[in-house]
Parts: sequence; C-alpha cells; structure tokens
Amino acid sequence: MYKDVTITINGEEYQEHIPVRLLLVDFIRDVAGLTGTHVGCTYEGVCGACTIQIDSEAVKSCLMLAVQADGHEVATVEGLAQDGKLHPLQEEFNEHHALQCGYCTPGILMNAEEFLKENPDPSEDEIREALIGNLCRCTGYVNIVTAIKSAAEKMA
Amino acid sequence: MTDTEAGKGWLGRKLKRKEDYRLTTGKGNFIGDIQLPGMLHLVFVRSLHAHAKIVNIDTSAAEELKGVVAVIAGKQLAEEILLMPQPIVVPNIPANHPTFGPLAIGKVKFHGEPVAAIVARDKYVAEDAAELVMVDYEMLPYVGDMEAALAPDATRVHEQFDDNIQYESSLTGGEEIADQEANDVRVAKIFEEADLVVKRRYRCHRCGVTPMEPRGVVADWDHAEGLSAWITTQRPHIDRLALSDILSIPAEQVRVMAPRDQGGAFGTKAPFYREPILICHMARKLGRPVRWIESREEHLMSISQERDQIHDLEIAARSDGRILALRDRIIADGGDGCEGVYWGYLMPFLGAVLLPSGYDIPNCDIKLKVAFTNKAVLSPARSFGSYPARFAMERAMHTVARELGLEPTAVQRMNLVTEFPYTTATGFNYDSGNFIKVLDNLVEKIDLTGFRREQEEARKQGRYLGIGFGLGAEASGMASEVLVQMENQPGYGAAMVRVDPRGKVQVCDGDCSQGQGHETTVAQVVAHEMGISPDDVKHSQGDTDNTPFGCGTIGARAGSYKLSAVAQACRHIKEKMSRIAAHDFSVSAKPEDFDFIDGEIIYRKDTNIRTTFAELAYRIVMTPLDLPEGEEAGLEHTAYFEAAMPMICFAAHAAIVEVDATTGQFEIKRYMTSEDMGRVINPQIVDGQITGGVVQGISNCIFEEFVYDDTGQQLTSTLENYKLATAADVPHVEVTHAPTPCPYTPLGSRGIGEGVPGPVPGALSNAVTDALEPLGVEITELPLRPNVIWKLIQQNRQAAE
Ligand code: FES
Ligand code: FES
Repeated sequence: MYKDVTITINGEEYQEHIPVRLLLVDFIRDVAGLTGTHVGCTYEGVCGACTIQIDSEAVKSCLMLAVQADGHEVATVEGLAQDGKLHPLQEEFNEHHALQCGYCTPGILMNAEEFLKENPDPSEDEIREALIGNLCRCTGYVNIVTAIKSAAEKMA
Repeated sequence: MTDTEAGKGWLGRKLKRKEDYRLTTGKGNFIGDIQLPGMLHLVFVRSLHAHAKIVNIDTSAAEELKGVVAVIAGKQLAEEILLMPQPIVVPNIPANHPTFGPLAIGKVKFHGEPVAAIVARDKYVAEDAAELVMVDYEMLPYVGDMEAALAPDATRVHEQFDDNIQYESSLTGGEEIADQEANDVRVAKIFEEADLVVKRRYRCHRCGVTPMEPRGVVADWDHAEGLSAWITTQRPHIDRLALSDILSIPAEQVRVMAPRDQGGAFGTKAPFYREPILICHMARKLGRPVRWIESREEHLMSISQERDQIHDLEIAARSDGRILALRDRIIADGGDGCEGVYWGYLMPFLGAVLLPSGYDIPNCDIKLKVAFTNKAVLSPARSFGSYPARFAMERAMHTVARELGLEPTAVQRMNLVTEFPYTTATGFNYDSGNFIKVLDNLVEKIDLTGFRREQEEARKQGRYLGIGFGLGAEASGMASEVLVQMENQPGYGAAMVRVDPRGKVQVCDGDCSQGQGHETTVAQVVAHEMGISPDDVKHSQGDTDNTPFGCGTIGARAGSYKLSAVAQACRHIKEKMSRIAAHDFSVSAKPEDFDFIDGEIIYRKDTNIRTTFAELAYRIVMTPLDLPEGEEAGLEHTAYFEAAMPMICFAAHAAIVEVDATTGQFEIKRYMTSEDMGRVINPQIVDGQITGGVVQGISNCIFEEFVYDDTGQQLTSTLENYKLATAADVPHVEVTHAPTPCPYTPLGSRGIGEGVPGPVPGALSNAVTDALEPLGVEITELPLRPNVIWKLIQQNRQAAE
C-alpha cells in the first residue's frame, strides 16, 4: 500500500509517494538521503541514535511511520548549524571531546537541543536524567554531560 | 626528544579533533550511508534453535516473492565456495578449529546461526521473504554448561572432533609436559608450606562490548577489477587476504575498505566473520552490488559475547602479605568456536597469559580448558580475555589481605613488579613503567586514609561504605613476536607518509579507526615532527588498495606502534629534506643541524639560512634538478615500527560505594583511575578512552549479561533486555595520571585503551566486599547485582544466627 505524503525536513519540502509501512527513519535516510540520523538498535526505540525533532519535539524516528509525519516539520542534525554557523552544542561537543565514534552524536544533539530549550540551566543530574534515552558506548558520558552544561552556559 | 627540537608543542596538547565537524553535522560516512546504484539487500534467516539437525529447507515461497533476486542455503553455498578454516585466519596454536561455512550445513550449533539468506531489491521485501523460508529441524540435545560439556561422554557440538575440548594447555612451566609437571610439583610444595592459602571459585558471566553501530558490508563486483568490499572492520588487510583465499579470488583483485567512519568496535569488528564472505560471494555471483546491515538482534545473538570464564584460583602467601605462588584452573565457554582469527579460545588464552597482571609472582601453575558449547562463539571485547582474569586476581588479592588483617593496597603494592624488563611466569613481557607510582598516586588522590576514617564513622551509624582497588598491566599493542603465534599475522606499526609539492602531508594507514581519533593524533605527530600545522596533514586509512599492510586497529596499538611508524617515516623524510637543503645552501651540515619549526626549515648554526617547508617540498618533488649525488626525487617514505620490547601500560582503579544492606542496592559514590600512558599525544583523547572504558567495565559488571535458557534460547537479543548503562546509571569518572615515558618508542608514547575495563570488576566487587565486611559478605561472582548482594547478606545473617 502506498500513500502520498508531504514532509518538511529542515525547512525543505519532500513530496513523495511511499509505502505506508516505511519507517520515518528510513524516509529520512533513504528517501531524503539525510544519513546523519542513525540506527543503533534497529527500531527498538532504545538507543536514541535515530532521535530527530518533529514540530520541535525530540522523538525517536524508528518508532514512527513516515506517513505519521505527513504535514509535519522534521528537524535533523543536518539542520542544526544555521547559515554555516555551528550550534553551540556542536561547538561544545568538539571543545570537550563529547564524541568518539560519533554514531550516537546526532541523536544526542537533537535531544539536547530540545532539552536546553526547556531547561536552560540544568544540573549535572538533570542532564544525565535527560540522556537516558540516548546510549553512548564510547565516551562514558562524562564529556557529553560537560559539553551540554557548557553549551547551556554559552547560550544563556 | 623535547618539544623545542621539533614542532613546538603539538604533542601533549588538547587539539580539538579533526573528525568532529563532520560527525556533529551529520556528514559522517558510515557503512549504512554507502549507496551504490542498483544495490541489493541481503537478509539472513537465522536458526531458531541452539542445536538441531536441518532436515529440510524450503525456499520456494521466498523465491516467488516479487523483488527477490536470490535465495541461498548452506549446502548449495558449500558447493560454490571453500569453507573455513583458512590458514590466514588460524592462530599458530594447537587447538581445534572447526569447519564451517557462512550458512549452516547439516545442523545448527547455536540460536541465531545463519541458515539461509535472501537477496532482494528492497530491504523490506528481503525481510518478508526471510519469513517465508521454511526450515524443518530435528532437535538435538543442547550443550550449554561448559563443565558438563567437557565430560568425555557429553553430546558433541562438532562431530568432527572426539570431544568438546577445543583448547587445553598449561600456560606455565614451559613447552614440554615433563617441565610443566615439574613446575606443578614445585608450586604445590610452596602451597603446602605457605602461611596462608586462599582458594576460591570466581565466575565471570557472558557479556561484551557491543558498539552502537552494528556490523555491515557493501560488496561490489567488477569483471575486470574484481571485488570491492566496504566492511565494518578493525583489520581490512587481513579481511582482504582471507576473502581472497576463501572465495578463490586472486588477492590483487580484492580491495577491502573500512568506511571512513565506524560507530565503535571495541574488538567486535576484529574477527574475520562468516557474514562478509557471503555478501562478497553473492555480489560476485549476481554481478551486482549487495549490502547487508546487521540488525541489533542479529548482533546480540551472534557476536560481542565474551568473558564467560570460571577460575578456580588459589594464592599462597606469607604472613606479611608477600605472594609466594599462584595456581589457577580456568575453564571458558567458547561457544561453537566458529570465528576467523579468534575461534572462541583466543580471549581466554590471552586472559590466562595476563593473569598475574602486574604482580611479581614467579611461581605460577595456570591451566586453561576451553569448551565447545551450543552458544554463540566467544568473540573479542575490549579487555580481551582478561576482564574475568583481572576480576579473579584482584578479588583474591583483596581476600589475601583481609585474611591477614592488612590493607588490600598494601598487599597489592608489596607484590608489584618493580624491575624492568620483566617476564611473567606465563611468558609475557613488561617493558618498563613505575607501577608503584601509579598505585601511590591513586591511594593519595582518593585519600584512602581519610576514607577509612569516614567509613568507620559511617559504620557506627549503620551505613555500609566501602573502597575497592583493581590494578593491572595492559598490553600496549603486541609485537610480531607475539602476534605471529597468536593471530598468524605481524604486529608492527606501518605508515606511508608523503609530502606533496605544496608542502602538505598525507599519511596512508592500513588500519582504520572506529572513534579513537586517529586523524587527529596522526596529524599531531606529523605536525610535531615536521614543524607544520596539523591542519596541513591528511590521514587516509583503511583502503587496502593504497595503504601499507596494516595489522589492524586492535589492542591499543595506535599509540605505541602506528604513531611510532608515523614518527619514523617523518624523520626519514626530514633527513632527506635536510640533506637537500644543505646541498642547496652549500653548507656542510648534518641532518640534525636543521630545525623544522612553524613551517620553516632553519639552519641552526646560521638562522639566516632558512627556507619554508612548502618551498623545499616543491623544489624536491617538482624541480628535481641538481640534486645531491645519489639522491632521488620525491618525498615519500613508508616506515614499519617493530618494538624492541613488547610494551605495556599500567593502571589502577578505585571505587567507593555505599551499599544499602536492606536491599542490596549500591551506589558508586566515586570512581577514580590512575594511569601510566607514557608520553601523551592528546590528553583529551586519552582521557576519553579511559572514561569510556571504565563505563563499559561498570556496565558489564552490573547490567549486561547474555542469558541462555536451558534449551539454549538466547533471551537477551535486544537492548531492552541486554541493558547498557545510561548516563544516569554511572558516576562521573575521575581520571588521574602518573606517567612514565616509554623508552622503546620514538615519542615515548604507549598505546592505551584496550584494557581499560579490566580493573573495573576488581575495583567494584572489592568495594562492595569491603563495605559489607562487617556482615561477612564476599563477592565471587559477576554480575554484581542487588539481588545477589541481598541474598549473600541474608545467607551470612542466617549463618551468623
Ligand atoms: S534506532 Fe531508534 S532508538 Fe535505536
Ligand atoms: S561516541 Fe560512539 S557511541 Fe557515542
């Protein structure tokens, strides 16, 4: 079964004829070709590597069908830097070595971006709590927490 | 060499990583991002049973599904390609290496073994088709207990062998049986006469270090050029040779490329696995590109399972805490043993070799048996084989100390190796270091004395605080001397360095990174040596077509071997540039009379005599006229670094915990490490390796466990039930340094990272044991979970009553 959808990703409209069973993460990666959004747990909704934002709310794109995003605004990591300028989170992740392999990073950035909007001055514990939906296997989280804290300060 | 001699402060500096821009903007290039025109998708049908005969496979319904291009099962495949083992991926160690193919032939040997494969135009369709493959099984008895499996009458996992003993050997006493027996008698005598003997059974559970990115392969076939394969891998050059052999394709027609970015590996991408063989074969057979992206479920069912060992360990000690002898009978559950390079037994083998772990214990009797079972093969995970060994050893050291009424760190300290080079009773070499300095640094920084006071106060209030230490030496890569035997491959570091006409430097490296930041550290070393900016260095890696043979990104080799080769190659090129500069300036100078600083090459004796690095590069590469006699054009050199002495790095960890004795729950209040990583290239990267490794160790110790039920069904094949630590589960890890530069590398660096999780289980379980000492609780098994701790508290209370 197929359906026509219009999904806006990072401000760009995609009008596509897609199978209704297509997952949103596959739409983003395979149809739109935006491969910054990753798949880590193969659609179990546990790892958070596929985290994006829909209408500014962080969600795991492997837990949604693409048709559910019809008519909505999707934001992915590719849209985080604006006009060639990195988002403070991206800068602080580099500054504080908050990534090693970088596989988890896009999902964490998209989650953290929303989190900092809601909680612009978080404590270490609050940051750790906010990250429970994102697994990182490389860093031990220490530097991720530091980078998010530091980005919050920069954005204040 | 000091910083003033060469490139001014690029070593030891927190240079921000070059990799990060692309990885934080979604521009990484991982295996799943590779798209080739007309690419087909391969999906495996995997066994539903642990041990069963395959009676029939009906693929007709799958074949009929629209969009399916090919379906293949084991028997047919065995007629088309050779089987494993292939010599290139077999260690030079006497053991049983079973015959197997990418798809099961005749019977399945673990839950999750591939039995058939679908190739389709669309991955959703491939999965539909996989559901339509009908396999009739006839159940066979499940062999699941490693000790029972070793019995002579046990059901055999592999009919080709007489029993389930895959590997059996003594790691001590020499090669000859008679010598080993004499050694055992000598050790036994020491035990008989010792003041104290501590004997325990230590059990480490099955767990590993699954990376966030599962495996994948994209293979393409060209009639003239042959096979091009992108593989998630830690050793593309070995993959190339192995694929060439097993698929009978001449090696020059096999090109293996590691994707530029890989989402972690930690050992899981080091073996030569069965899956890439099939993907490459199907690409050749169909003449079309084929891709396989492993699902998380496949991954957790078939790889990244390690650490499954039992240690019956004994220590003989003098009343002052000096260890006189060590005896250990180790058994490991190697699973079905079907995996190129490692074959299930190589991890416990190395774990047994590393067991003495930094202590000076000349009298050891260590024996290991590895059993075949109907489980997934043991496959490498960071702290390769030695995580369980370190757990057993450090727990036993703590117990010895407490039985003698001594502070555990005092006993650990008294027994550390202090004279180098040192060879352990198992034949492992320690090049250099200062182990005591590392431990003392930790004891001081964590304030052991202060903690003991606090603990005493807390105990008065009925609170259970505890501190635990775990130590050990980690191999900083392995020299050819070790690796040729162990993995049938060399151990040197290799790097091809090329200076282009514009004075930019390219480094071609046959290894490949999975997050270790090699692009950055390689650039720092070149910048340091050549006196240029790291921005002017390009690092290309992982492509067998244009890199020197690389032994793989394995076992913390980069800091010791790869970077040493890079430095050597740079020095070779610098000498040539200096010779030509001397010639051009008509000065009679030795190469060391020129400084390479800030993009310039300056004659020391007259600093007015200078040129830029870029100008001289252009002159040598582009205008090779009037060169000194015998000098060739071009600026390119490939260096191979082989260690004069196998290098190690030493680490000590401490954990402070508080246990709630009513529930068994415990909180890690502090976790601190002290490390000797030699001379540091990039402190931020080194510290990142440590915090990451520690959290992996904690996660293994507390949360992760592969569970098989009593029919061999694997119950933990999702991240929902194979739980990894989240940010909220773990403490802020504090890293401290106590370095001793390595005299055997050109930069004084030591590779670090591979062994980081090793000291964790000792530190944590010693801390919990220390906390609960008033209740008589002693941890001997992992995982370390509240329910287990609670049970132990109850048992001891009952016993006390
Ligand atoms: S792939 Fe979506 S949460 Fe893991
Ligand atoms: S950086 Fe590798 S998983 Fe987070």
